Amino acid sequence: MNFERFQNQSRLYVIGALEPEEVEEFERAREKFGKKAEDFITKCYALHEAFALSLRPAKSSDAIKERLMAMVKAKKES
Amino acid sequence: MGPPLKPGAPTDLELMERIQASDADALSQLYDRYNGILKALILRVIHNEAEADDLLQEIFMEIWNQAKNFSAQKGKPLGWMVTLARRRAIDGLRKKQAYARAEERLQNETEQQPDAWVHNATEEEIALSDARTLIRKVISGLPPAQQQAIDLAFFRGMSQREIAAKTNTPLGTVKTRLELGLKKIYDGLKDLRDEL
Repeated sequence: MNFERFQNQSRLYVIGALEPEEVEEFERAREKFGKKAEDFITKCYALHEAFALSLRPAKSSDAIKERLMAMVKAKKES
Repeated sequence: MGPPLKPGAPTDLELMERIQASDADALSQLYDRYNGILKALILRVIHNEAEADDLLQEIFMEIWNQAKNFSAQKGKPLGWMVTLARRRAIDGLRKKQAYARAEERLQNETEQQPDAWVHNATEEEIALSDARTLIRKVISGLPPAQQQAIDLAFFRGMSQREIAAKTNTPLGTVKTRLELGLKKIYDGLKDLRDEL
């Protein structure tokens, strides 16, 4: 696998779209390219953030935050 | 990147560091900043308001519990939260065996009105973030088939084979659509990538 193909596969990998038989080959290439590969994969994870930001924010009820903070407080005190 | 910060407001990274030090107020601020984005992501996966609210609460609790695992070397706090939220939403969808129901709801919505991935931004949203507008522009510029393939993979957690089956499309075509679409988005967001 050359690095250009690795880049294509990386973008599929970070969204979980590689098929099982492709993952093995991808992992071998990842090891072969080393730090360059890790740096590229890290950059690809920005796609997650972009996809989330592409959505219109949704409102949630105030009760959710109240429950959350009560759970956090209880956990801190336990 | 996210909502613009008020002068003097802590950065996401500062909030994460405070959460790692068990500062509950920092979690409260992070929640206020990002609950809307994460809820939208969860809703996109499970299509159920009440389940999305429950999951949102669980996800922020996981952010609190797992904050020590966050590393700034591996990305930004929002990226970490989105990755975590997406995984939890897709897991939740499958565990609760709501997949069929969500599919049915999605089908109904699709029949009533196309379930567009990106919507036209309101003036308020445009004012909130030029970056968000750019992201939407890049995604909406993709051919519909590429948008659909990425949507099904990212927001529904479908494999290439599942997408091929759902859309009656050859597997190789699905792979090509995903590769081309993701590359266009990745390249289109080049100027934003350092910020993301």
